[in-house]
Amino acid sequence: MTAFKKLWVIAYRDLGRNRRRSALTLLAVALGLALLILMSSYIAGVVDGSISDSILLSTGHVQVRSETYQMEQASLEWGDLLEDRGGLLASATQIKGVVTAAPVLWARGYLTTAAETVGVRVTGIDPDSDFHAPIRSGLVAGQYLAAGDRGGVLVGKKLADSLGIGAGSKISLLVGTSNGEIDENVFTVRGTFSTGVLTYDESTIYMPLAKAQAITGAGDHISALILLTEDAGTAAPVAAALRAPGRNVVTWEDMNALILQGIGSAMSFYYLMYGIVILVVAVIIANTLLMSVFERTRELGILAALGMKARQITAMILMEAGLLALLGILYGIILGSLVVWYLSINGIPIGDQIASVAQGFAIRSVLYTKFVPAQIFGLSLAMLIIVLLGALYPARFAARLEPVEALHNL
Amino acid sequence: MPAIELENVVKIYKIGEVETRALDGVSLRVDQGEFTTLVGPSGSGKTTMLQLMGCLDRPNSGTVIINDQDVTRLSKNQRADLRRERIGFIFQFFALVPVLTAYENVELPLLLNGVKPGARKQRVLGLLDSVGLAPRAKHRPDQLSGGEQQRVAIARALAPQPLLVLADEPTANLDTENGAQAMEIMQRLNQETGTAFVFATHDPRVVSYARRVVKLQDGRIIDNGVQTSGA
Repeated sequence: MTAFKKLWVIAYRDLGRNRRRSALTLLAVALGLALLILMSSYIAGVVDGSISDSILLSTGHVQVRSETYQMEQASLEWGDLLEDRGGLLASATQIKGVVTAAPVLWARGYLTTAAETVGVRVTGIDPDSDFHAPIRSGLVAGQYLAAGDRGGVLVGKKLADSLGIGAGSKISLLVGTSNGEIDENVFTVRGTFSTGVLTYDESTIYMPLAKAQAITGAGDHISALILLTEDAGTAAPVAAALRAPGRNVVTWEDMNALILQGIGSAMSFYYLMYGIVILVVAVIIANTLLMSVFERTRELGILAALGMKARQITAMILMEAGLLALLGILYGIILGSLVVWYLSINGIPIGDQIASVAQGFAIRSVLYTKFVPAQIFGLSLAMLIIVLLGALYPARFAARLEPVEALHNL
Repeated sequence: MPAIELENVVKIYKIGEVETRALDGVSLRVDQGEFTTLVGPSGSGKTTMLQLMGCLDRPNSGTVIINDQDVTRLSKNQRADLRRERIGFIFQFFALVPVLTAYENVELPLLLNGVKPGARKQRVLGLLDSVGLAPRAKHRPDQLSGGEQQRVAIARALAPQPLLVLADEPTANLDTENGAQAMEIMQRLNQETGTAFVFATHDPRVVSYARRVVKLQDGRIIDNGVQTSGA
């Protein structure tokens, strides 16, 4: 064994000299890290879930629109819509990386019942498209749409419940047309769906694309072609392949720019919170070590008298800090991971009211954590580094003790 | 040949505005193999002299020469090196590292000096045997009696084969029997190894073992050594 290894032995055994203090310090590290893991996993789950929901339920990875189309206005003028749908759809699905493509027509409308009138977004879809699988699988009552259905619609469950309607109910739908007029049509609710995202479930009505084109006077035009790609990273090259004069091709990042920007701003705040938690833990460890150094002043004087150098004494104290930190980090990872795993399955219910006020942000009423190993590794490493930096003060204090002063504690 | 020589050494402690001359122009020579005690009332400068001899502190003026080397100008690390290689310490309160076994406490100076494992083991076991503690090698200080702890401290002090062992009140916390046992061990090891021993003590038992007694008073040597035959 070398002197360096012996310092590790002394550092390890020193942890057992005051077991209660070591255990409490370890607990502080473990709880601090577990909290950070939970926070980061929660944020990752919410953000990833929101963007994923937005992509799978609304925006897709890539959208192809007319150059002049404005999403906010949901224009139905032919000049703002896409034509030659059949050729575009066929060529889009041939591009490497495209999983599915779905044409949609959006229109603003009002759903009226005997008691109420509610603004809705009417979406004409190809019911057989794989893109709309979440609607199909989210059906909670009634039946799904058929492509040739001329009188049926699907209504979000939240919307249906608020209006007191359900499968089989008759509804009146006022929809804008391409020539700027309002047309009233009566439909039968074929079924109700729940996506879990309240902003969609309380504002969206689906009908077959052909019917939507008919009642809006859009002809065979569509508002957009929505594409899903193999993964988020494939969106950019697919979008590049689709660009052509007269088209506006956007990716999921473009379409969620506001959300992403908001997340970026929020993350600065969260990183500050992480830093505060880690600093608090570092201060606790530094305090523990300082108390330990004060209690061992005489012993440190002996070691210096025996010829142990300042750098060796510094190393010994840092080793103690490192061992405490590593053990605490290990327990923190285990504890944090267990909580994250549980919440990734059971979720954190936040209630419909909170979920529904997140305008433009696809957020569910039950939020799930997401296990991100790279984040856990990063937080653990940051904790270890900051703790060791915090331990520098007591370590240097111990190393700078003059043997004579330390031995006067005899 | 002198093991250590102090030449006109002055040491002043300043506490606030008050200055205390702990040593006032002291000169002393200790030869190799000596068995010497420093005696005097509290505040006479015994411990200060030991600390300067042990390179634990530096004088305000004067020189300390160990094995022909002036150590007063050495850096802190250089003094640590010198202590590790050439000087052993025995303290009043035994001063063992509490988390190390008796074996590991004796081994520590050898580890710090980079002695190879085989030679280290042989030396440690030999020393523990010479102080009668080989069977207790794996016990920690809290499992040893006061006398046993001091014997481990003696073994540790001799581990690096020092030129000089400095002992500050080594029997102060030992009963008569253990105190006598410790002194007999140190006397025997002094004769076997030729290592010089210098004690600072009030204990007449310790003085009775010494071959030379240096008397201090008020930071000055008033008697440079009375040759005795020792106990």
